[in-house]
Formats: sequence, C-alpha cells, structure tokens
Amino acid sequence: MIKKRKSLWRRLKENRAVQTLSTILLPVLFGVLIIALWQGQILHKIFNTDINTLPLPSRICRIILDNLPSIGENALYTIIVALAGLIIGSIIGYLIAVFASLFQKWGAGGLTIVGAFNAIPIVALAPVMSNWTKDVSSDPNFRSMVAKTLVVMIVCIASMSINAFRGLTELKPFALDLMSSYAAKKRTVFFKLRLPNSIPYVFTALRVSVPISIISAVVSEYFAEYIVGVGREIRENIVLGQYPTAWAYIVVACLIGIAMYGLLMAVEAIVLKNRRIKN
Amino acid sequence: MMKSINRIRSSKALVMLVWVLGIVVIWEIFAFVVAATKRTPENILPHIWQIIASFFDPKPVANGMSCTQIVLTNAGQTLSRAGQGFLIGTLIGFVLAILMKLSRIVEKIAAPYLMLIQLIPILGMAPIILAMTHDIGSSRIIIAAILTFYPVATNTLAGLNSVEKAKYELMYSYAAKKSTIYFKMLIPSCIPYFFTGLKIAAPMAITASILVDTLQGDGGLGCMLSQSLKHAMSIYVFWDIVVFSAVIGVLSCSLMGWIEKLISPLKRIERKTKKKGAA
Amino acid sequence: MSRTNAYNPKNDVEIAINNVSVVFKDNKGNDVKALDNVDFDIHKGEFISLLGPSGCGKTTLLRTIADLLEPTSGNVRVSGMTPKEIRLMQKFGIVFQSPVLFEWRTVKKNIELPLEIMGYSKKDRSDRADEMLEMVGLTKFANHYPQQLSGGMQQRVGIARAFGIRPEILLMDEPFSALDEFTKEKLHLDLLKIWEKTNKTIVFVTHNIQEAVFLSNRICVLSPHPGRLSAVVDVDLPYPRTTDMRDTPHFGELVSKVRNSFEGGSL
Repeated sequence: MIKKRKSLWRRLKENRAVQTLSTILLPVLFGVLIIALWQGQILHKIFNTDINTLPLPSRICRIILDNLPSIGENALYTIIVALAGLIIGSIIGYLIAVFASLFQKWGAGGLTIVGAFNAIPIVALAPVMSNWTKDVSSDPNFRSMVAKTLVVMIVCIASMSINAFRGLTELKPFALDLMSSYAAKKRTVFFKLRLPNSIPYVFTALRVSVPISIISAVVSEYFAEYIVGVGREIRENIVLGQYPTAWAYIVVACLIGIAMYGLLMAVEAIVLKNRRIKN
Repeated sequence: MMKSINRIRSSKALVMLVWVLGIVVIWEIFAFVVAATKRTPENILPHIWQIIASFFDPKPVANGMSCTQIVLTNAGQTLSRAGQGFLIGTLIGFVLAILMKLSRIVEKIAAPYLMLIQLIPILGMAPIILAMTHDIGSSRIIIAAILTFYPVATNTLAGLNSVEKAKYELMYSYAAKKSTIYFKMLIPSCIPYFFTGLKIAAPMAITASILVDTLQGDGGLGCMLSQSLKHAMSIYVFWDIVVFSAVIGVLSCSLMGWIEKLISPLKRIERKTKKKGAA
Repeated sequence: MSRTNAYNPKNDVEIAINNVSVVFKDNKGNDVKALDNVDFDIHKGEFISLLGPSGCGKTTLLRTIADLLEPTSGNVRVSGMTPKEIRLMQKFGIVFQSPVLFEWRTVKKNIELPLEIMGYSKKDRSDRADEMLEMVGLTKFANHYPQQLSGGMQQRVGIARAFGIRPEILLMDEPFSALDEFTKEKLHLDLLKIWEKTNKTIVFVTHNIQEAVFLSNRICVLSPHPGRLSAVVDVDLPYPRTTDMRDTPHFGELVSKVRNSFEGGSL
C-alpha cells in the first residue's frame, strides 16, 4: 500500500522530545517577552503609566538586593504568620473533619456552616481579630501576630475540614463492608481505612490553603496594630509614594508564595508517590 | 415513599437549625462574658440582638443617615463594581479556557502562569493598581476581575478536559465539524465545572471590592468599615457591615447555584435522583 | 420475510479487510503487534461477530473499520471506498461498551444528536427519534434524562441513536458486556428484531461465545498475542432466533465448535 508521507508539522507534533521541549520553552519565552516589554517600557505605554508607578524589573531587583536585611525581616514575619496560621488551621480543620465523620449526619450539617464561613470577606475578619486580641499581651508586636495568625487560621480551617471530611467519608465501594467482615473496631477502621483514604484530600485542601494563607497574612497586616510584614510594607510605601519599594515587596510576596507552593508539591510528590498509578 | 423523603428533608433542616442555634448560643455566652469583663464590649463582641437592633434603629449615626441607610447606600457602590469585575473576569476566564482547549500552544504558554497567578497576592497589589488607574471604581473592577478570572478559567478548563474519549469518537464517527464538537459536546459538559468556578469567585469578587474601598475615603462598604473602626461613627456600622458582607458573600455563592439550576435542567434532575437515593 | 440463513456467498462484499496489521508502541517504546495479517470479507446484510479473549485485537479491528485507527499495513475498504470516505459520508453507526449518552440531553434529544449534526430539519429529527424510541420500547421515557434510566435502558438509547441515522453499517463494540444476563437476553432479541427489519450489516465485537453464536450468522474467531484470525465459523441456526434455541443440542455443538477453533484448542 502507498504510505502517505506525513507533513513536517504533523511529524513535529507527534515527536515526544519536541513536545516536552515546547512545554518548557514556550512559557519561558512568553515570560522573557513580558519582561522585555516591561524593561523596554512598552508595557508602560500599554497601561498608560510611568516608570515610577510601574518601575523597571532591573530597578526592582536592585532594591531587593540592596535592602535584603530589612526585606528579609519583614518577609520572616509574614512567613511565620502564614505558616503558623496554615498549620494550626489545617490541624484544627482536620480534627473537625474527624469529629464530623464520627457523627456523619450532624457533621455534614456543621460543615455546611463552616463552608459558609469561607464566604466571609477577610477584610471583615481582620479588624475583628485585632479587637479580640487586645488583652493577649502587652507587646503590640506579639498580639498583632496572634491576631494575624488567627485570621489565616480561620481561613484555612474551612478548606481543610471540608476536604478532609470528604476524604474520611467517601471511601471505595465495599471497603467498609470488607472491614466489617473482619469485625474491625471503629478505631481500626479509622486508622487503616479512613485516615489513609483522606491523605490525597488533605493535599487538595493544602493546594487551596497555601496561596490563601499568604494572601490572608498580607491583607491582615493591613489592619494590624503593629507595623511589620510584607503586606504592611506594600501599603506604607505606597502611602509614602515609594512605588518601587512597594513593588519590591510585592515581588517578595510572590516569591514566598512560589516557594511555599513548590515545597508543598515536593512533599506531595513524596507522600503520594505510590498512589500516582491510578491517575 | 413521599413521607420518608419529607422526613429526611425536614431532619436535614433540623440539623442545620440546631447548628445555627448552637452558634448563636456560643456567641451569646461569649458576649455576656465580654460584657461583664470589658469596658467597651461593643468593640469586641456585642450581643446579636444589639446588632439586629442597630439595623432597625432609625437614629442617624453619620451624615444624618441611620446604620442601615449607610450600609445600603455604600453597598450599592461596592457591589455594582464587584459585579462588573465579576462579569468581566468570568468572560475572560471562560474565553481563555476555550482558547487553551483549542490550541495546544496557548495551553502550553498559559498553563504555568495560570498556576503562578494564584500565588500573586492580588489583594496586596490593590494599592498599586489604584495608583496606576487613579480611579477607585476601575480599581475595584480590575481586582475583582483578576480574582474571578482564575477560578473560572481553571475550573472551566478542567470541565473541558473531563470529556471522555468515547464521546470524541462518537462525534468523530458522525464526521462532526470542530465548531459542532464545541457547541454540542464540550461547552455543555463544562457548564457544571464553570459554575463551580463561579461559586468560588463570587465571594472573592465582593471581598476584593470591599478591600479596595478601604484604600480611599470615597465611600463604599470598606471605607465605612474603616471609619467606623476609627470611631468616626458608631461601631455598630462596623458590625452591621461585617454581618452584611458575610451574608452577601454566602448569598452570592447561592445565587450562582440558583442560576445554574435555572439554566441547566441536569442540575434539577440530579437533585431529584439524589433525593430518591436518600429515601 | 424471515431469512433462514442470511449468509449467502453470492452477496456483495461490503467490507473488505485486506492483510491488516496494527503495531502499537508500549510505554517502553517496544513494538506490540495487536493485529497480524488479518484478511477476510464481510458481506452486505451480515451479522458478523468478532470473537476472542482480551488482547486478541477484536476492538482494534473494529476501530480500523470505523476509521478510528489507521492500520500499520494492509487496508480496509468499505463498498470500495476508504473508511474515512465512508465516515465523512456519515454512513457508520457506532455503539460503544458504555452508552456514551450526553447527560444534559433528554433521551429523545440524545437520539436526535447525530441527526442535528447531519442537518435534518426539526420535524424530521423528531419523527425519526419517535420512530426509534418506539423500536427500542422507550417511548414513555422520551423526556427523561439518561441518569434516570437503568443501564440496560441507557444502552438501548445508544442503539436507537445508532440506528436513527439509518447507517449502512453498524459497528458494535461489546455493547452488552456491562449488563446482567436477563437484560442481555432481552436486548439480544431486540437487536435481532431490529436487524431483521432494517437489513443493515452489523459488526459485533464480543468475548462471549454464547452471545456470538446466538446473534450472528458468522463468527470470526481471533486469537491473541499477536491478534490473528484463527477461524471463521458459520452459524446455521435459522432466523428469527428464539431464546429456547439456546437449550438445543445444536446450539451446544456450535458453542463447542467455536471454543475448539481457538488456536491451541480450548482456552
């Protein structure tokens, strides 16, 4: 039979190496293009703005490098708040889910309400927390930290408890029947079946929580009593008209987010290594 | 059968009722403790009835307007901008998802940035966007749109990618055109996912708009919220706005659910069959 | 009206499978032969089964006919044309293992889907769908959604949709394998009734020997690793077939004959 010659385009499309290369190369080229447009001040023409409001990438980099110690200190406070809130909130969220899975009829109703908390704007939450923690300590830095952590915590509780509840209750068909055929105790069912089943759901929750925890930390810093943290520096510098410094802090906030998300992906890859097959 | 369905439905409502009552009771216990121990309890945790009463109190608190008048007049400004941003963000998110499905090149370029964009603290960038646009109204719209765009795009794309291979083969065997495949198969099947995105995005758009309010003294819910916190007017304005924004956030989410049910007969069926399953 | 034996060598050749081989690459990049030099003809109006265990390439063969897969060597001709030409002329009806219904469309709208794509008028679509619904006995369920139906009813919708376009050739890929025995036997009778009424060529993929014997007038037995045609068995049971034929000694003989025709004897 006559074998049709495939066109060059078709052959490129089907070549695996070309595909992998383009998956990396195309986004990188796009990023380089944007930065070039930015540095070349073409973005400024598009957005109709000046190099003070939208400083050049080179300037932002220089500011970050020149002010590393103070930026580092502010970043550290933000990271502490975000991480502490994330960890405490996720643990509490998981415990709520465990509790709800023990009394499923009542638990599901409770979680609907927890889900509604998700819809409460952080802006409303932050000042309330500031008020509540007035008497926690005489050190304004410390009590601000507590208030900010509480905001992050509350935001993280909702996504973790809802996802973990699904992980603890949405079991594979017949898994429960199998366990009861072994006459397994409730405790055994929990540790051998429900807990392992919930692990992927925990990571689903964390993927949502990690970005939210940083955004919540940044926003709650706006309303905090004590002036510290990446978010507060963004705002203070803008009030003073120092846009380049504010941009430097925005870039730092992004870097914190990327680092935390990358860390999460790495942990997930290790923990769920043997479960990947099913996908 | 009808009877048992009703029983389950009413018992579900009962569960929710008990939970809401439980929260009210806990709130009130703390409110009594706060009232007994703090000098200005209304700053920390007022009684629920005090908040409700403040909604109906015709006494003017600022500019000759009562609490409710302040909340409602400012809410119009905030919510209309949030709504506009939400619509723009939805449109952009949906179109991007379709483009990513249509072209592998667009998909490869956009996929990593779609993940990165959630790690940028957009809310933290609010002051800069305000500085670039010099207009609080368009800042609200832009930020609400950016926050909406991400969940809509990712969820819609997930929906477009969820269509099983056999459906493509069926359309292929009918020699269906590309546009037919999109309009008759891909777009209808991504609708439930699209609405999941909208449900996540709607409260976020409102949060964004309120946050942008706090940056300038031009009115809007956020602006009144910070003025009330600074004691420029009754503190109950603050509590009213917290309650109002929480309720609006939850309602915006359920509104999306109602719209979904309205346009998608499938959703109504699912509810029907779920109820059948429960009975 | 009823045929005693639909297989008649004088009938026109409808589908010619000429030395078809299909080679896949596995994950490690090694070549895997799914089909090795399969060569036979399918005649107009036949009910032919492609029978074999998993891995014998029966579905692969069906896919080469349906233009879902290009053979590595050899070719398939349908009425003298390539499968692609036939597909573009919209002459194939396909039924998959799962019903593949569009869950946002009612049963009737699902049957109308291919007719919409082919540009039938609204009235024609509706009339044809009603006719098909009656044929598969689902008239009462026209306005239900697929998820409100049982698995067997869903598969009947899939069959109605395939027949609705009045295809020249019906390709069925293990359409009943997910159903229980009772539903399956009922659908067997339904399918035969429709086939006798419409005179279409049916290519039916299955791994169930009894099913193949009961339905077809000819069975292509395929053996795995690599997939080869190991025998073609004529089924001389008269049509219309009835359920009690399953209990006749002759039916049993045919089943044993098919079973023994697998390469290397019985499985």
